Amino acid sequence: MTGGEQAAMAGGVTDASAPVLSLRDAAFSYGGAPAIHGVSVDVHAGEAVALIGPNGSGKSTLLKGLLGLIPVTAGRFEAFGAVRSGLTSRQADAAARLSRRDIGYLPQSDELDPEFPITLEQVVMMGRYRALGFFRWPGRADRAAVTDALVTVGLSHRAKARFGELSGGQQQRGLLARALASGPRLLLLDEPFNGLDQANRDALVETLRLLKTRGVAVIVSTHDLELARDVCDIVLLLNAEQVACGRTADVLTLPNVQAAFGEVGVEVDEHTLVVPGHEGH
Amino acid sequence: MGYFELALIAAVVIGAASGLVGTIVVLRKRVFFAQALTHATFPGAVAAALLGISIPLGAALASIVIVGIMALIGRVRRQGTQVAAGIVLTAGFALGAVLQALHPGVPIEIESFLVGSILSVSTSDVVLASVVLLVTVLALLVFGKELVFQTFDRRGFAAAGYRESPMELLALVLITATVVTSMPAVGAILAIALIAAPAAAARVVAPSPRWMFVIAPVIGAASGIIGVVLSRVADVAAGPTIALVAAGFFLLALLVRRMPRIGWRTGVEAA
Amino acid sequence: MGDILVSWFVEPFSLPFMARALGMLLALAVVAGVVGVIVNLRGLEFISDGLTHAVFPGIAIGFVAGGRDGLFVGAIVTALVAAVVLTLLTRSGVASDAAIAIVLTGFFSVGVLVVSRQTDYAGQLDALLFGRLLTVTDADLWRTVALCAVALVAVAATLPGQLYRAFDARGSEASGFRPLLNDLILTCSIALVVVAASSAVGNLLVLAVLVVPGAVGRLLTRRLWLLFPLGAAATALAAWVGLGIGFGVSVDDGISLPAGATVVMTLVCLYAVVLLGRLGVDRMRDVRVVRGVRDSGDGVGDGVRDSDLGGIRGSAGVNA
Repeated sequence: MTGGEQAAMAGGVTDASAPVLSLRDAAFSYGGAPAIHGVSVDVHAGEAVALIGPNGSGKSTLLKGLLGLIPVTAGRFEAFGAVRSGLTSRQADAAARLSRRDIGYLPQSDELDPEFPITLEQVVMMGRYRALGFFRWPGRADRAAVTDALVTVGLSHRAKARFGELSGGQQQRGLLARALASGPRLLLLDEPFNGLDQANRDALVETLRLLKTRGVAVIVSTHDLELARDVCDIVLLLNAEQVACGRTADVLTLPNVQAAFGEVGVEVDEHTLVVPGHEGH
Repeated sequence: MGYFELALIAAVVIGAASGLVGTIVVLRKRVFFAQALTHATFPGAVAAALLGISIPLGAALASIVIVGIMALIGRVRRQGTQVAAGIVLTAGFALGAVLQALHPGVPIEIESFLVGSILSVSTSDVVLASVVLLVTVLALLVFGKELVFQTFDRRGFAAAGYRESPMELLALVLITATVVTSMPAVGAILAIALIAAPAAAARVVAPSPRWMFVIAPVIGAASGIIGVVLSRVADVAAGPTIALVAAGFFLLALLVRRMPRIGWRTGVEAA
Repeated sequence: MGDILVSWFVEPFSLPFMARALGMLLALAVVAGVVGVIVNLRGLEFISDGLTHAVFPGIAIGFVAGGRDGLFVGAIVTALVAAVVLTLLTRSGVASDAAIAIVLTGFFSVGVLVVSRQTDYAGQLDALLFGRLLTVTDADLWRTVALCAVALVAVAATLPGQLYRAFDARGSEASGFRPLLNDLILTCSIALVVVAASSAVGNLLVLAVLVVPGAVGRLLTRRLWLLFPLGAAATALAAWVGLGIGFGVSVDDGISLPAGATVVMTLVCLYAVVLLGRLGVDRMRDVRVVRGVRDSGDGVGDGVRDSDLGGIRGSAGVNA
């Protein structure tokens, strides 16, 4: 069963023209003052959104909010046609868990135990676990989805390799394959280009383009304005609140970027904007 | 001096030493390591009793072997320190039990090794514990600030031009010596209570790490005395009573912290 | 030699009490192969140790109040309560390692105090701590099997979630697994294993059943699914050999070894043998890798990558 069919069964709207994700003046909070607020954006199937802002501007927070790991505290938030704002915390948890079946999430690169006895293929299969439920073991459809995800990220030749032996960039792409294996309609990527070499970066860009043609909506947080121009249709500039949001060409202007990053560190020549690079964390 | 007075002195000395060294253990997050060490002294003590040599000596020798084995396993890939501690810990108990069974003729109070019997400590036990306490105090007076520095910021410590291994060794020696000498009071199983509880209680209430080194030994000594007296009054085993009193101090410390208007604890928590 | 093999390791098991002991340990071996491997992958050794201590007062109070039947009830109740409390404590982040150690030695102390009020304190404490493997009844055996089965089913039902969480806790949560539910099921299963194993190998030796099988498996293989059968097989082998040795020594040499402790010592010795073998193999492999670098200069990384072997941390070339 695809994610779409599941959403239909759960009562979600599957009208192709309806946005996958819709926020109106939304705020997200860890408890206490909102960590980000004033976010308004519609994301449709096959569209890619770049989240751009300085370190600590709330890019990861927004992604976690969309995932339902932290609550929406104001405004309106709809995902897959289901309203997610104004719920009790119990309702919100249930709704978030349901919607996570349609969301693939690639967290910021993590310290995973390099000695963990697991192959790349098995890691990708974990993307299918949630839908399996108790006592059920992966079947033919699951294995096919894993193979397909590995082909999509261009790592099928490494399927049997132990995960810890892959290079950092390959691990990153492997985790992306895990996010894809569940057949998501929405993909959330948190700084996926951090520390990637050119070859892995190119492979990732190719994968994102391919996913868009398949109708997957993508939201990617990044410092890479070049990437935003190359792949993304929409840019959302963020600095604790939404600074600007719209078509890439309209939003990536000097005043907007300076408003998000402050004057310092923004260097401009005739046609390019440069923002301070990510310093690690 | 009667056995009860001797037990009280032992309780004070061992409690104070455990509190001091426990502060190092807790700050360095080596509680599971210390626990494995305490448990693993058990076969050493059994072997010493069988061979007729001094029990602290046997436990000390066993500790050295055990630290070596844990260091070896901890270095092996895919094993690590937790596995090392777990295996050594359970192996220690099994070995102790087997050793005892191999010599059925020698009467050994196996429980006294496990949960302590402070009412039957000898003068030499107390003297040994006092020496360990004295050495610990001296070592902390001389190297205390380096030890704390290294505990909190290993990279900074190395960057400041110090060598790390002497500090590691010092911590190891102090922990081992205390574990060995605390056996008569609280035994192999409960020693960790007397090491962890006073220090953890001190960490909760102390305004700075330096104060932990003052508060923890006081709590440790108090746990010892109160435990011995209570066990006599209630006619129950002394070791568990001491461990429970120490745990009680920890709970008390948590309660004290939860009370917001405690005046003497100034400006520690902003959040 | 052949005589000893038969008279130590085959014939004794026709005796009912030896067969019961072996049956009990084999049930434990199966469950140790699953739960123990998860304990290893999650790094839950310290929590497991804590649980063994926490269960003790339940065993003691149950024993004092209701004899052997009471022991089981008391132990199960305490084990489940301790497992839930421990899970909530560690999850909320208020509890450090020190706090866990304090709370659980506190529990243990209560157990000792309860037993110490009994008249023949010494002998009973000994039996509770080191087990009484050779005097188990049929009822004991079936209770152990039942407890093991419950623990096994609980972990097997949630195995994908447990593995995902062990590998990547944040990722599993983001994909919709409930961490608290996973942890509760796992710690309760560990607690049930602790109860099941306590009457066999004794409370102090239970940790061996939880820690060693996973550790042996990790030394032997890097394939995930092989860990489980290898862990179970190692435990089963140690159970059989350990019981045989205990029996043989007592018959031939008149020394009665405590059965539980003998089995655990056998298991630890097996671990030691595997560990030394692993180190030896790795050393040879490292030498070969270094030589390979000198001879060919390339292709070394692939050769090592496809191997199924590990080495000492930081040794040459293996991390290529």
